[in-house]
Amino acid sequence: MHRLRVGAKQGRARFQALCLALRPDLLRFAFWLCHDHALAEDVVQESMLRAWKAQESLEDEKAAKPWFLTIVRRELARTFERKRLNTVNVDELVALEDSSLAAGDQADLAEMRAAIFKLPEEYREPLVMQSLLGYSTAEIASELDLSQSAVLSRLFRARHLLRALCGEDTSGDPR
Amino acid sequence: MMSHERYRRALLANPLGTDPELEAHRASCEDCRAFTDRMLAFEHRLLRALKVGTPISVEVLPFRTRNTVRPTKGARWLALAAGVAIAFVMGTGIWLTPRSSLAADVVAHMTEEPNAWKTQAALPAGELNPVLKRANISLDPKAPTVSYANSCEFRGQVVPHLVVQSPRGPVTVMVLTHEAVSRARHFDEQGYRGTILPIPQHGSIAVLMRAPGTTAAEVDAVAAQVRTAIVWGS
Repeated sequence: MHRLRVGAKQGRARFQALCLALRPDLLRFAFWLCHDHALAEDVVQESMLRAWKAQESLEDEKAAKPWFLTIVRRELARTFERKRLNTVNVDELVALEDSSLAAGDQADLAEMRAAIFKLPEEYREPLVMQSLLGYSTAEIASELDLSQSAVLSRLFRARHLLRALCGEDTSGDPR
Repeated sequence: MMSHERYRRALLANPLGTDPELEAHRASCEDCRAFTDRMLAFEHRLLRALKVGTPISVEVLPFRTRNTVRPTKGARWLALAAGVAIAFVMGTGIWLTPRSSLAADVVAHMTEEPNAWKTQAALPAGELNPVLKRANISLDPKAPTVSYANSCEFRGQVVPHLVVQSPRGPVTVMVLTHEAVSRARHFDEQGYRGTILPIPQHGSIAVLMRAPGTTAAEVDAVAAQVRTAIVWGS
């Protein structure tokens, strides 16, 4: 077991290193759920502050990623409760994203991003957890409080819908 | 024997799954193999789309507190100026937290891309070439099979992150044109064994493997092969 708090100074440095390593994917996860880069940054920053205060509850550094993700999800939920988020124009958002922060610049990525935004949240969230964060079905089920078969069903529907939205040939997909 | 429908349903739910039953079906069904190839290409595109750029953070603990009101444009410029000042101070060493080792950062980056080692199939040229082109490099035709490629943020730069297949399993290669090192450095971190190799005039490349029992000599052999395979643009 790797206890995080090995000494105030060392513990602080390790916590900071953890935050820096996990921050990119946590930001991306929050962005795909809230559709807003600035809000995602606020949510992740607030989550890290909460995590710092609650670091005693992180028993094993290896479990840091799901631990942080749970905090981010709770913070997102709090944010959604506090304020009703504005309706988002997906095309404008994708154009903004691709002109400023995108990792790639191909048109097909812009098309894919627009399609991801159009997925219902109950499909989008497990898809992001699996594809971006590398979560297993069991881990997603545990985090979302669903059965594994429900997770698999949502992931299947998410990709089927995504492929259709991207204009892929889905005639060979099961119904 | 698994039905086509069940296979494809499972594949859409988890394209990188390694269930032996799925693999057996894939091996015996040409149509489903072709379907799998299309799905894997789609999955790679999905991952690239999901990896939106994130701002590079120069913040250190204690964290800034949440802004309940969005800053005005002027305040944002002030914040930007403050950020530049902090970066300058950190860069000049007046207030410096020792920069974590390059090897540790490479290993930490790998943990951000857990799917990179999950496929062994050759990446289509249409997926690989944009990543190489962005870094102004290409690969010799005799280069090992590349199964993964992505343009990643690493220490404030966008760098190619490749996975090539070797007889000892998958090998991660990061082309670090902005990271000059004076000599080859071997490392053994978190179960990964690797080396950071200096490339005169082109920074360095990081090469790492996770096969248990991998020796430094084996890492060196793979690194030398990768180094030879990279063709540097002018």
